[in-house]
Amino acid sequence: MTDVDARAAMHLSDASVSVELETQGMTLNIGPQHPSTHGVLRLVAKVEGERVTSVQPVIGYMHRGYEKLSEVRTYAQITALVNRIDWVSGFANEIPWIRAVEKLMEIEVPERAQWIRLILSEMTRISSHLLFMSSYPLELGAATPLMYALREREYVMDLIESVTGGRFHPNFNRVGGVKPVAGGGSTQKKVSQDLPAGFFQGTREAMDRVDSVMDELDELVTGNEMIRARTIGVGVIPPEKAIEFGLSGPNARASGVDFDLRRDGEPYLPYDQVDFDVITEQTGDSFARYLVRKEEIRQAVRIVRQAIDTIKPGPLQAKVPRVLKVPKGQAYVRTENPKGEMGFYLISEGGRIPYRVKIRSASFCNLSILPWVLEGALVPDLVAIMGSLDFVLGDVDR
Amino acid sequence: MTDSPPDGDAVDDAADAVEAELEESGFAAELAALVAAPLWVDEFDTIRLYVARENWVDALRLARDEAGLTFFAWLSAVDWSTEVAVGEEVAEPDELIDRYEVVCRLSSVTSPRGAHFFTEVPKDDPVIDSVVSLFGGAEWHEREAAEMFGITFVGHPYPLKLYLPDSFQGFPLRKSYPLLSREVKPWPGTVDVESMPEAGGPSTANVEAGDTGGDE
Amino acid sequence: MNFWLELVIKTVLVLFLVVLPVALVVIFGELKISAHIQSRIGPYFAGGRFGWAQPLADGAKFIQKEDLIPAGADSSVFRFAPYVVLMGTFATFVVIPFGPDLAAEKLDVGIFFLLAVSSLSTLGVLMAGWSSANKYSLIGGLRAAAQLIAYELPLVLAAVAVVIQAGTLSLSGIVEAQANMEIFGLGIHLPYVLTGQILSFIIFTIAALAELSRIPFDMPIAESELTMGYLTEYSGLRFTMFFLGEYAAMISLAAVASTLFLGGYYLPGLDTDALKVAGPFILLGKTLILCFVFIWMRWSWPRLREDQLQSLAWKWLIPLALANIVVISIFKVVL
Repeated sequence: MTDVDARAAMHLSDASVSVELETQGMTLNIGPQHPSTHGVLRLVAKVEGERVTSVQPVIGYMHRGYEKLSEVRTYAQITALVNRIDWVSGFANEIPWIRAVEKLMEIEVPERAQWIRLILSEMTRISSHLLFMSSYPLELGAATPLMYALREREYVMDLIESVTGGRFHPNFNRVGGVKPVAGGGSTQKKVSQDLPAGFFQGTREAMDRVDSVMDELDELVTGNEMIRARTIGVGVIPPEKAIEFGLSGPNARASGVDFDLRRDGEPYLPYDQVDFDVITEQTGDSFARYLVRKEEIRQAVRIVRQAIDTIKPGPLQAKVPRVLKVPKGQAYVRTENPKGEMGFYLISEGGRIPYRVKIRSASFCNLSILPWVLEGALVPDLVAIMGSLDFVLGDVDR
Repeated sequence: MTDSPPDGDAVDDAADAVEAELEESGFAAELAALVAAPLWVDEFDTIRLYVARENWVDALRLARDEAGLTFFAWLSAVDWSTEVAVGEEVAEPDELIDRYEVVCRLSSVTSPRGAHFFTEVPKDDPVIDSVVSLFGGAEWHEREAAEMFGITFVGHPYPLKLYLPDSFQGFPLRKSYPLLSREVKPWPGTVDVESMPEAGGPSTANVEAGDTGGDE
Repeated sequence: MNFWLELVIKTVLVLFLVVLPVALVVIFGELKISAHIQSRIGPYFAGGRFGWAQPLADGAKFIQKEDLIPAGADSSVFRFAPYVVLMGTFATFVVIPFGPDLAAEKLDVGIFFLLAVSSLSTLGVLMAGWSSANKYSLIGGLRAAAQLIAYELPLVLAAVAVVIQAGTLSLSGIVEAQANMEIFGLGIHLPYVLTGQILSFIIFTIAALAELSRIPFDMPIAESELTMGYLTEYSGLRFTMFFLGEYAAMISLAAVASTLFLGGYYLPGLDTDALKVAGPFILLGKTLILCFVFIWMRWSWPRLREDQLQSLAWKWLIPLALANIVVISIFKVVL
């Protein structure tokens, strides 16, 4: 994962005596343990004074080999694996995988299950973006928005937990719908996994809270002169570059690429039955990326409110065979995850386990633009730009 | 559908399919004509185009410039092997030709269109041109495919490992590469499948490996 | 008694009676105030419900930690750096007047001495950054050097404006001048901040924040980028000294600002005898109010980038401070 240069950098940073300032510049090793690299990411940066001349990200510290593991797991087991890819938005990772399997099996998902998936997806989006709202100002030095955003996020996480049983790894999707019952072996009673009592009321309250904390954060962060000075004009990514590198989600929309898979892609959930705006900005700098995510939280709240008014009773899972055998075929399904476009390319040879699963993770492509965008940036801007791209190492390393 | 170059019956079937699909999705046919793909498939809402190895870069360039597929989604490879060290074998191993397939997905940002471009790379000569000159984003994807499958991308600016340490030996995503946990404990078969939710009756642990149970 | 012995005893008294307790109070205040700003509770267990013993507990914890010196560090410089920082800070307490005759040493060139000696700390920071044999520390040290030197000038120029209005360099003299200051013959004695020095006060406060390396000016430490900057390699007792030094400097600069702008130990309506008793507490109160403002600003705002910080100092504060001096001089001559 490194080259001679990077290894030399490693030695230089360990060096005891040779701290002399080379006039050609210094090689600085940022990470893998660092307060602001969103996980185990290592950047080998060549700096001259305060200016970065080149950056090589070194990734793979969290590579768990999901694609190889998928070749020895059944489809249900892979569902449990998959929500660990982007662990901040656990539920959202399961959707493209389950949809790919359902596509090959040509299963129709019942309405109620689709709506539950939609509600949970949007709550996951709120939760992921709130985490961004808390960690990004912290990297710029403001310590307080962290607490406010995380406090409200707890309410959303509690709701997700009340439905699925897990905060980060819900493992709630099943082929053909969502988990219908729990228990029900020879010794256990069957318990329906439908939405628990008090869920709608709790959701309405939580959405009100999220709205009010967004107002607070707007005052505290968005209007703050210093935040603006640190992020406006910093890390500008033009739309052509964004498309060329495969940037997706809020990062691309902040550069003016008006494309949202919920509205413009292949339909995977009933987003056509809810009203929401797709937020784009034109400047493509870090502030624009921050603004897009901030407004997306409000739109997600809007969607959830409409969804809980639209959902009707019904079955939670379609009829599927007990032992899942997916017919031979290849399918690709992509969804709008909080981090961007996530996709699963599934090659099935008609057995109980897939033949090949290719995981297209959003943060991998979002991160690949880092060497290009960081060239010539200042060292403090490095942190501001990395934070604004909002990647998660689990997503990058799979 | 077809995994190998079409023969007799398969061509007829494919042609019928082509006829039927031309009415629905003109896009796939147009795209295949544009990039001179001898074979294309459109099923499960997924368009696959098979181009020749020599045309790889040209095909992608044409798709980007003339068909509006400017968004570089991903690039990876598939290892088609008759003998596998992990997982299950293909459905019809007699019809399979051992090869790698490099696959690249391009899509559009103005419409929901997207296509997967496949090209065959023989196992004794795993070399293909790099598309980094067309898409900057391909750099990392090609590095990953190179280290996982052992495919060489000609013209790649930094052919270094991406995920694996420098000292790593072998190519993990090849079918011939064993999975250590499966070496230690062999593939248990049906035991790993979720047990039945119905009450009454023993769990599937008592079912012998190889018994596929009742399919509906 | 020997002059020097007397001075040493008085200084030590000031340090132990004033600086250490007040520093502990301010540390505790920071913990609690920051917690409530972030809608948390803060220290809760150490010493009962209000957690008042938390700073003491932290101090005890740090003292018993292992004293690490990096293998490649320049060990004599590394060891000496915290003391240099502390020396610069403690020496400023010698001249701060706590009451009409209650300064450790009433110097005629009080403010001049204070500003000169407080810039010794810059040297200590540079020493710490350089000797740590760590690239992050080096970057932090360089940033600190640039920042602290840049912000010395507005600090000094703002103080000069006060000196011009008061007509004396002695700190006690400045407080006396505010005590005697009458506005429009109304018989009300107002502190300088309200009688023409508001701009100097603002400049002084901003420069003081930068001298303390506190957010919004904490680029030298910049926790999310440099993991503590020049302090990265310090642990145990040496770290405690830096830590204590930071709060002592905060108290020192707040006390100086109170003396220069807010009237120091003087409160209108009290005569000299009352001031001899109440003076220290009045000064303490004003100091703590300013410290509260510093803490409030730290937890509400992000940090400025190095070049923005520098342009703030050179392009804004220094010209403003110079213009301020001109205006004050004109008023002093005219009125």
